[in-house]
Amino acid sequence: MSNAELHSGAPESAPEHNHHVDRSATPVFELKSISHSYGRNRVIFDVNLAVWPGEVVALVGDNGAGKSTLLKIFAGYQRPTAGTLRFMGKDVQFSTPAAARAIGIEAVYQDLAIVDQLSLWRNFFLGKEIVRKVGPLNLLDRNEMRSQAQKAITQLGLTRVHTVDEAVWSLSGGERQSVAITRAMHFGAKLLLLDEPTAALSVRETRNVLHNIRRARDQGLGVLYIDHNMGHVLPVADRIVLLELGRVVRVIDRGEVSIEELQDLIARRTDHA
Amino acid sequence: MTSETSRPSAMLHGGPRQKSVIEQLLGIRELAPGLGLIVVALFFTAQTANFWSPQTMTAITTVASTIAIVSIGVTMLMISGEFDLSVGQNFAFTPIIWALLFVSNGINEWVALVIALVVACLVGVVNGLVTTIFAIPSFIATLGMFFVLQGMNNLLISGHQLIMFDPSIAMSVLGARLGTTPFYMPLLWMFVIAGAFWFVLARLRYGNWTFATGGRVGPAKAMGVPTARVKRINFVVSAFLAGLAGCMQFAYIRGVTQGQGQNYELLAITAAVLGGTSLFGGTGTIWGSVIGAFLLSAIQIGLVLIGVPGSFYVTFIGVMLVIVVIANVRLGRFGGSQA
Repeated sequence: MSNAELHSGAPESAPEHNHHVDRSATPVFELKSISHSYGRNRVIFDVNLAVWPGEVVALVGDNGAGKSTLLKIFAGYQRPTAGTLRFMGKDVQFSTPAAARAIGIEAVYQDLAIVDQLSLWRNFFLGKEIVRKVGPLNLLDRNEMRSQAQKAITQLGLTRVHTVDEAVWSLSGGERQSVAITRAMHFGAKLLLLDEPTAALSVRETRNVLHNIRRARDQGLGVLYIDHNMGHVLPVADRIVLLELGRVVRVIDRGEVSIEELQDLIARRTDHA
Repeated sequence: MTSETSRPSAMLHGGPRQKSVIEQLLGIRELAPGLGLIVVALFFTAQTANFWSPQTMTAITTVASTIAIVSIGVTMLMISGEFDLSVGQNFAFTPIIWALLFVSNGINEWVALVIALVVACLVGVVNGLVTTIFAIPSFIATLGMFFVLQGMNNLLISGHQLIMFDPSIAMSVLGARLGTTPFYMPLLWMFVIAGAFWFVLARLRYGNWTFATGGRVGPAKAMGVPTARVKRINFVVSAFLAGLAGCMQFAYIRGVTQGQGQNYELLAITAAVLGGTSLFGGTGTIWGSVIGAFLLSAIQIGLVLIGVPGSFYVTFIGVMLVIVVIANVRLGRFGGSQA
């Protein structure tokens, strides 16, 4: 049902088939022979994975396959026990999410996107406020932030928001993530990480979030996301990486499989294991 | 809190439209307490002959200004999501230290004042560190500090009064009469301090961070706001302003007892809540708390004027507090999404 809805009358799904990822370029982010253990419990085994600019990579697999751990390694919450990370062609090491953010890796979580009581523009610029120097003081440049936020939000098409001065507690889960994705793009992120962005969203909201994922991709960002709903994975993913018990067992290019085949793949793999 | 529960049904209206004048007025948080203050003033004007007399004005403004200054600090802290129950005791502790140093021990009054205020700040540092490092409710951390300071005050002046008959220059700066007006320095300081913290909240990055920290700490942290540091700083602000207001009270009354500031921690929170500050953090205004302090003070003095026993006013305040919070919850603007 949701899949049918996604395809019917979604203008953004039309150019999908023309979308090509240039994989001769340098990947935004690369995991090389990454392994990770929690104590003596090894959860990631020798994973190689790259995300190119303008590419959407979906991580799929059953519970316990290691999706979340991989995402945490990307986002700087976990430092892998072995292997190397390369960002824009350079070896990097970071041990905090803040360090990952600083080089342009932006993680968007549905429930961590927005502070309800703040107005939209204050949310948009939270932690990256624009200030102007007046004497010894750095004053918030409220007009500049308002107009920039207004511009970005207008592109986003949030119809329920009247002005960027409004508090955002009325925004839905999908709208929050869309604001967060727009914010990441605005501040020049290179890689967007999304953890189950469509969980618990309505059909319309899911479409909006997927649309914004495409928008980010079209601007040249690499996108890595986890999703359980194969109907949401197939329409946007350029590549689907199937994980099982901490190993990459299959990488599927766009159009290679149907939803049913994909679901069978995940289920059968797990049955055997 | 999930995204589902945080979506109130209030925003049912559709596309973009202009807000009406009434909606814009309702958006001003100071409006309700301001109207409340006007109603209270009109009531006592009608019921008493001398509500606007210079003596009454002096009484109302001096009580209100010290509560307001304490409440401004408490408001900053409450907006960032924490409480401070030790401000009332600090309100006595700091002037006791100041007075002991310069009245009893002959240290230069300014040096003594700085030392006393540094000690006040240290109280805030301890409150902040205990709350953020051990991750316990500030309610408990500062309740502990309340008893610690109460004991200290007891120990330091053990039931006596410290009196300064001849006010010094520093005392005049903090508590002297403003010319021939019925007003005293604390009122002037209150406006300066309120203006400064209004400015901090509205115009500085730190204000944004204070709102975000109390609003939802998770996203704030994810966006790079140093939430623990914001809270610690606001604990110090709260303690500093409580100590400073206590020194003003001492300078104005020219004496201090260990009972000074009794109940002030609760009055400061009450003033903040009456002024529209959320108990759950994330929302609040400085001027609302100032109006709330005047509301408390006007009721206290006004009831005395119409012959109600002096200590009865707290009963009235208690009832009003509960009604205001219920009204705020019903109006759905109490703590934003938590309502």
